[in-house]
Amino acid sequence: MLQVFDLEKTYGSPTRSTPVLRGISFSLEAGAFCAVLGPSGSGKSTLMNIVGLLDQPSAGAVRLDGAIVDYAAAEETARVRNGDLGFVFQAFNLLPRLSAWENVALPLLYARTARPDRKPLALAMLEQVGLADRAEHRPAELSGGEQQRVAVARALIRRPKLVLADEPTGSLDSVTAAEVMALLRDLHRRLGVTILMVTHDRDLAGRCDRRIEMLDGRIVHDSAFA
Amino acid sequence: MTAVCPGAASRLALGETVSEALANLYAQRQRSALALLGILIGTASIVAMLTIGHMAQRETLKLFRHLGVDMLQIHAMPAGNYPVGELDRHAIEHLTASDPDVIAAAPLTADHDTILAGERQAELGIAAVTPDLPRLMSLRVADGRFIAPIDDGNLVAVVGDQAARKLSAPGAPLTLGSAVRVKGYVFQVVGVLGPLPFTALDPTDVNNAVMIPLAGAGRVMDSAKPTTALIDLRPTADAKTAGARIVARLANPTAVLQVISARDLIRGLNAQKAIHSQLLTAVGAISLLVGGIGVMNVMLMGVMERRREIGLRAAIGATPRDIQLMFLIEAATLAFVGGVAGLAAGLIAALVTARASGWTFSLAPWVLPLGPGVAALVGVAFGLYPAIKASRLNPIEALRAD
Repeated sequence: MLQVFDLEKTYGSPTRSTPVLRGISFSLEAGAFCAVLGPSGSGKSTLMNIVGLLDQPSAGAVRLDGAIVDYAAAEETARVRNGDLGFVFQAFNLLPRLSAWENVALPLLYARTARPDRKPLALAMLEQVGLADRAEHRPAELSGGEQQRVAVARALIRRPKLVLADEPTGSLDSVTAAEVMALLRDLHRRLGVTILMVTHDRDLAGRCDRRIEMLDGRIVHDSAFA
Repeated sequence: MTAVCPGAASRLALGETVSEALANLYAQRQRSALALLGILIGTASIVAMLTIGHMAQRETLKLFRHLGVDMLQIHAMPAGNYPVGELDRHAIEHLTASDPDVIAAAPLTADHDTILAGERQAELGIAAVTPDLPRLMSLRVADGRFIAPIDDGNLVAVVGDQAARKLSAPGAPLTLGSAVRVKGYVFQVVGVLGPLPFTALDPTDVNNAVMIPLAGAGRVMDSAKPTTALIDLRPTADAKTAGARIVARLANPTAVLQVISARDLIRGLNAQKAIHSQLLTAVGAISLLVGGIGVMNVMLMGVMERRREIGLRAAIGATPRDIQLMFLIEAATLAFVGGVAGLAAGLIAALVTARASGWTFSLAPWVLPLGPGVAALVGVAFGLYPAIKASRLNPIEALRAD
């Protein structure tokens, strides 16, 4: 499903460069629910950005669903982000002008889905995350947990192969965080989606099937090989 | 799985992007309104300029409605001690044969006097004319006939439409066969003209005149000789050289000859109009430039404020081209709205100008799409830089922005 080979990422100029990833390799089978742990600055967000096709690696390669990613092909990476990947952010990133269902339907716009087909698809997805009755609300009228559930629905509307969640509970209180985590687990089981989740919360990581720990741009522990 | 429209693979639906653009602009309406103002003034001055220019042209042509744009008039002014400047009738009538550029020529003398008909009397124009005049002035006889060669110097008269009305009494209308009296001479009415609105270039207001044969004019006028020559030139003729040639032919010691050429007049009017047009064009161009910069400013601020949105859209599958298009359409929509408002303002300005100048308002249909079209083009031109900037944002940094 996902294979990462000797991934390196260096920021800055050639004379004063800062390595962030120093040779990362791992693979993820379809249907996995894997946490990436590590302190801030360990490179886990950079790894997520590269796997999410939002950033380019300095060296190494990423194979997604059997194909090596060509980071230079902007149209193609956009298509992959739209159809094969789903993003859940710490800050939700919902568009405040749009209602819940319109936010969920946004990826369908770039999938060129016919306009009349979008609302039923978005409503069905909102039902999956338990927010069928909040479809017409704007983000400001929803609680933090509800907003993140809308964001999860948006990440899943295109039925992606891989969902990338970057600190999905980082902005939520512990009760709500547990609810969102439970939702992710539930959707993972029901929809069979592969999830890669960045967190620095050991408790949350403990509820994932697999944990990859990072430090200073290297993988220092992988529960799959413990 | 989701349905995908096959046709729209490369571009998002335009209508949808426009409606989204309108929603975005409404969200920042105060700032949008300021940017609109420049576009509005620019479009308004361009629309006003074009419409006023169009009307002015129609008004100019109206001046030549009777006489045509190939008309030449020669007026004889008294020279030295001569009491009346005179022209030679036969020389004028011979011009068609002697000058290759002349299609038709008619001599006339115009004056005014008290005219009596029965109990009525009126101060009217009196014109001594020849049978060629209707052709040169596009006169239309409503009743009876015009003066004919057969009339020679006889006491017959053709009356203008208004003049006939003024000389009619209730129960005693002026008709064919009625008698009109001028300086004690009784003329018999043989024709009444149809209405003919006066234009400033007409040598005499035929609507308010009584026309008599030139040959008999000596009875009621200072001279039986014509003082004016009306000439119709060939469209290919050069009015200046033809005018000089004709003046040379008609020159005589009694008169200083003054030439009025329709083409010269039109050229003068056009030159005057060109100054106004240039001024309005400059105002319009500067306003559009300022408006364009306003649009660019609004769009740049929008890009800065919506970095997160741009990052998010990139993350969920918008290509750089999608983002570019989104901002371009927003800029074009903003400018188009200003252009439509400017069109309305420009037309109102043109309408007011028409009222003030006594013109009939007339709309050039091609102005309608042109005004907002130019505005939208300005929007696209000035929206290009912000749109490119938005599409080049690094999505990771954009997502991290506050």
